[in-house]
This record gives sequence, structure tokens and C-alpha cells, in this order.
Amino acid sequence: MRILVLIAALTLTLAAHPSVARGADRGLAGEFMCQCGCGLTLASCTHLSCGPRDAALAELASLERAGRSRAEIRAAFVARYGERVLAAPLRRGFNLLAYWGPYWAIGSGALVIVALALAWTRRGEGAGHAAAPALSREQREWLERQLRALED
Amino acid sequence: MDEVGTLAVGMAFVVSLYGLAAPLMGQRGRRPELLRSAVNAVYANALLLVVAAASLLRALLRRDFGNAYVASYTSRDLGFWYTVSAFWAGQAGSLLFWALMLAGFAALVVWRRGQHRALMPYVVATLMGTSAFFTGLLTFVSSPFARLPFAPPDGAGLNPLLQNPGMFFHPPTQYLGYVGFTVPFAFAIGALATGRLDDEWIRATRRWTLLSWFFLSWGIIFGMMWAYVELGWGGYWAWDPVENASLMPWLTATAFLHSVMIQEKRDMLKVWNLVLIILTFVLSIFGTFLTRSGVLSSVHSFALSSLGPLFFVFILLVLGASIILLVARLPLLHSRAELDSLLSRESSFLFNNLILVGAAFSVFLGTVFPILSEAVRGVKISVGPPFFNQVNVPIGLAVLFLMGVCPLLAWRKASPRSLRRNFLVPGMLGLLAALLLRVLGMTHPLALVAFALCVFVTAAILQDFHRGAMVRRSHGEPYLLAAVRLVARNHRRYGGYVVHLGMILLFAGIAGGAFSTEREVVLRRGETATVHQYLLRYEGASTYPTRSALVTAATLTVFNSGKPVAVLTPQRNIHKTHEDQPMTEVAIRSTWREDLYVILAGLGEDGTANFRVIINPLMMWMWAGAAVLTVGTLIAFWPERGEALRNRARYLVEAA
Repeated sequence: MRILVLIAALTLTLAAHPSVARGADRGLAGEFMCQCGCGLTLASCTHLSCGPRDAALAELASLERAGRSRAEIRAAFVARYGERVLAAPLRRGFNLLAYWGPYWAIGSGALVIVALALAWTRRGEGAGHAAAPALSREQREWLERQLRALED
Repeated sequence: MDEVGTLAVGMAFVVSLYGLAAPLMGQRGRRPELLRSAVNAVYANALLLVVAAASLLRALLRRDFGNAYVASYTSRDLGFWYTVSAFWAGQAGSLLFWALMLAGFAALVVWRRGQHRALMPYVVATLMGTSAFFTGLLTFVSSPFARLPFAPPDGAGLNPLLQNPGMFFHPPTQYLGYVGFTVPFAFAIGALATGRLDDEWIRATRRWTLLSWFFLSWGIIFGMMWAYVELGWGGYWAWDPVENASLMPWLTATAFLHSVMIQEKRDMLKVWNLVLIILTFVLSIFGTFLTRSGVLSSVHSFALSSLGPLFFVFILLVLGASIILLVARLPLLHSRAELDSLLSRESSFLFNNLILVGAAFSVFLGTVFPILSEAVRGVKISVGPPFFNQVNVPIGLAVLFLMGVCPLLAWRKASPRSLRRNFLVPGMLGLLAALLLRVLGMTHPLALVAFALCVFVTAAILQDFHRGAMVRRSHGEPYLLAAVRLVARNHRRYGGYVVHLGMILLFAGIAGGAFSTEREVVLRRGETATVHQYLLRYEGASTYPTRSALVTAATLTVFNSGKPVAVLTPQRNIHKTHEDQPMTEVAIRSTWREDLYVILAGLGEDGTANFRVIINPLMMWMWAGAAVLTVGTLIAFWPERGEALRNRARYLVEAA
């Protein structure tokens, strides 16, 4: 148990001190994926001590301190870690498929639905002309009564 | 007992294969005794899997560390309930759990087989075919009864992330949802195979679908709760591949629940409904494939394995067989396909389906896009929360909008007069809400739209309730009694509306997330920090051992307007069995307005404590929404006398 206490004290102490985590803008940190494999962003990585996260946050904080813009910081991170560091892929080239694919699919689907619905509506109107005349008021009231009896 | 378990699982596999072949042979050779025998095989399969499950449970509770599964997922210091939950903590156990539930569902289906005899041979074959896949995996690939050469003195223990009450409820409910969709899928295959393509299979499975949808909903909600309190990053949804995998079948199943109404009422969308249920089942299996294959990195990948390719082959087989059947039956699937107007509730349901399936597609594309990108461009990319939020939030708002529009449109044809009459009050209230929120200082455009839509949809639903109750009141019933009877007379419709109210609360909670704020504070003992309206005073930290972990807890007294309102103790725990994986135990103070969420980030040598303090607005609304959703589902689920007949009659009367 003593060893456990030492481990606890050590890890908790170490975790507290890379003040770099506090220096970086958390909003910006949320735009980059942690490279430790946790699948979360730098702002969300929950590992107590995480080397890749702390190094990236330190870099982020130093770039911010150097007065770099968001775009410059993004470019610097991509140059260093590759595109996979971005939590949202760049909006260009093949990646546009991911951004616009769903909207394109929904838009196309909407056009198909409108076209089909219009065709079905015309067919419905045609069938309506051929159909029997609407119920008389007496018939309708009788049906309503029967229906209410069924419901009660 | 492991021998018993192994034997039971092996026999269940053989019996499942028999249950797959016998009804098909019986149908082909017109031998009803073979179908009867297949039904018995379903019961035998269930019994054998109960024996297997009991064997595993016994091994877990007796801490039989000679069993590799028990040694991998339990330890001597693990409490009773977590030991039970270890049943589904690992791959082999969760596969057995899946097979067990499928066997139970199959037994229930054949027990009530009298009503749908014609479909039964194919229903049984489909259920048992699926069971053969899972019991086959358990027999040949991943057995929970494998023995170690020698029994270690203690087990590796349960992953600390899984030591949370959510773990006890999240996987079982999620699996109940996934497995449940096998039943409507089996009936759909039965309908395709027999050519009985009217709405019989839909009526037969309506409650199964609803129940499966309900369980999957709760599986997702429990998962969100677990992520919120256990993962400790301050949120509940990270757009992780495994989370996405559960959302996709939920979306397609939701679309299915809506579109079947069109088939029941208008005899339309037959092909679409079959496609939706096939898709839902395949996506359920795809979820397990993602969890188990490790093709995408995930926070949920507790047990990766080589099962991925087998699941992939199974998915291809299911898809292939379903598509062949569907194409072969296309000539029988022609429907009357008539609409009276583009402005009708039927049309709005079509758009609702489009948006829901579009949302599922969007989530699917985002989830697999890293694989696509690597295959096409050879470049590894990540697709994380910022991407999903950008792409999916507008789609989510469209879903919310249609939720409000649908009840306002009349069946068959909405006249301009009825449109004015129905949209006026909800529309005005929605606009008023937007204006009011803007005046009060809300500038976030998407959140503003979301809250305005929440008001619009709520007003639309309540208006429909009110009008229904007023009609009954005009027949002499007191208003409250009229409202209650209104619901009692049409469980499905009004249960659905209550579910929508629950969804609105969930949406409001999600929209509240746009105003989440976070601050990191470093405090010495006795020092205070102000975060929003809260004043936090650090009282000190203590370290103490528990049965399974070493706990480091910091104590904070929380003041609001000068009054102490809570004492929070965020913790960092080091579990004996997972010393390399310190765990965050967050402290949360929940109110209807917001959650005060505190993470102990670390302790300094100089006596300082480092906290991440997050204010999450409207979190409780989400959990309340889940409760309302439960009530609505129960209402919709409750059987009604003459329900189908009455709906049809009511529709015909309205048409006349």
C-alpha cells in the first residue's frame, strides 16, 4: 500500500505541474486531436499524465504567446503532426465529401421525394375523379357514431 | 463447470444450425413436423444458453481464476455487482450475453407463433441463423470458458472505467436494443420469403420494434451518463466511433417507426420499410463490428480482437441475402402510391424519414471517413467532435423542426385555412421565444434557433392535445378527464407525442451545451475562486485506501450568494489492479439550471490543488427528457383494443 501511496502522490504531483495545460486556449485545444490514441481532443484527453497531450499543449501555448494566428497555429500543427492532428478535416479536396456528402444526399433525396410526391399526387387526383362520391352527411354521422362506439 | 458451459455453447451452436435448416426443409418438403421440431430447437437453444450463462456467472462469482475470462475481468477485491457486470465486460462474455438474449427473444416469438404461422418457418430460420453465428463465434473463436494452464492467485480486475453503475445498465440495455431488432428483421425476411408483403409483418413486430428502440434509446442515454460521470472530460458525447455506431441504428429505427404508419394507413412505402429494417439490423451488427474490430480507435475499445473480419463477412451475407430477396420480390411490392397533396402529414413523414436517414448517413460517413481518406488519399486524418457538430447540428435542427410540423399537418391534405389555424400559435410562440432570448442577450445563432424550435414544437404538441381534449369536453367530459381519455383512446399517437416532448427536453439540454464554460483554478488550502455565481473554497485533500483503490479526494465547499450550498469531493483513484491508469471521479452539483462539474486535475508539491471547473447548463433537462421519453414509450407500447381497426376506420372516415 505504501508503494501505491507513493505512486499516487507522484502521479498527482506530476500531473499538477505541467502548467502548459493551463496556458493554452481550451477552445483552440479542442480543435486538435490528442496523439496518445485516446480518440479525444487535446482539451478532452482525460489521461492523468499524457506525454503527447502535454507536449502538444505546451507547443500550442508557446505559439499563442508568440502571437501566431489560429490559422498559423493550425498550419504549424499540421506540419508537425500531419493532418490527423486536426479534429475536423481541412475543408478542401476529398474532405469536402465528408462535409457536403450528407447535404448532397439529403438534397437529392428531397428532390426525389418532391418529384415522387407530385407524381403520386397526380395519380391520387386521377383516382379521386374515378372514385365513388364522398359520403353523405347521414352516412358520415353514422360512421362517426359507430367509431365512437368502437372507441368507448 | 467450464466443461458444462463449453458443452452447452457447442450444443447451442448445433441446435441453432438445426433450427436454421429444419424450418426451411419443412417448408420446402411440406413437413410440418420439421417446423414443430425447429420450434423445439428454439426452446432448447434458449435452455442451453441459460445453462452456459449460469456456468459463466458461477465462475465469476466463485472467482474461478483458472477460467481465462474470469481471470481477465475480475479480481478478489471486486464488489458483487461489478463482478456480475464482468459478464459483459469482455468480448466472449458480451457475445454470450448477446446470444442469450437472442435466444430468449426467439423463444418468446415462437411461444406466440399462433398468429403468424405462415411467416414462422422463415422467422425461426432467420433468428436461429443469427444465433448460429453468435454461438459459432463462442464455440470456435472466443469462448468464455477457456482454461488457463494454471490458476493465478488473483485476477487482472475490471477496467476502472467500467467500475461505474452505468456499466451495469449501459451494455445490457444497448444489447437488448441491438438484439431486439433481429425480431422485426426476421419477420421482414419472413414476409419477403413468403410474399406476404402487406402490413402483417409490421403489425406483428410493432411492439418488438418499439421495445428495441426504447432499449437502444436507454442504452445510448446510459452511455451518455456513464461518459459524463466516468470519463471525466466534462461532456457526455464525444462522437466516438462506438457511440456513433449506436446512434446509426437508432436513427434508422426511428425513421422506421414513423414510416410504418404510412404503410399501415396508405399501403405505401413497402420497399422503403423493408430497406429501413434491414438497414437497422445491419447497423446493429455493424456497431458490434466497430466495437470489436478495432478498425477505428475508440474510447470504448476495451477488448479488441480478430472478430472484425467475421462480423464483416456476416454483415455482407445478411446484406447480400436481404438484397437478393428484396429484388426478387419487387414485383409484389408495388403499392397504390397515391397522395392527395404535397402539403400533408404523409409528405411530412417522408421528409422526416429523409432527414433521419440522412443523419444516419452523415454519422456513418464521418465515422468511416478516416478509413476512406487513407484508402483514397493515403493520408491519415481524424474526424472528431468539431466536424460532427458542424455537419450534424443543422440536420438535428431539421429533425426538430419536422417534429413540430408533422402534427400540424392534416392527413391527406392540409388546406391553407387549416395551415393558418394550426401554425399560427406555435409559430408565433417560437418566434416570440427567439426574440425574447435575443433581447436577453443570447447571441449563439444555432442555440437560439434550437430553443425557438423547442418552443415551437412543444406548442404544436400541446395545441394538438388541447384541441383533442376540447373536442371530448364538448361531449360533456371535464377537461382533465377528457385529456386522460384522449391518451387512453389512442396510445400510439399520444404516446408518440409524449416521446417527442422528451426529445425536446433532450434537444434543449444539448442546446444548453453551447453555453458550457470552463475554468481552471489552482488553490491552496483555504483559498477561494469564483466561477460564475459560485464561490469555491478549497478545504484540503486526503488520501485513503478503499477495498479496491487508493483514493485521493479534494474537498471544496461551494457557496452561492454567500450561502454554502454543497460540499464537493472530486477524486483521483488508483485501482490496485490498474495502477497505471489513474481514474477521475468527478464531483457534480446538479440543479435544473446547470451542473457545477469539478475535476481534480492534480495536486502540487507546494500544497496547491488544480481543478477544472465546468458549468454545464441544462444538463438535468436531458435526463428528465429521458424519463419523459420512457413514459411516452410505455403509453405507445400499451395495447389497445381494436387499435388497428379503429385507426383504419378513423382514417377512412376522415377521408370521406
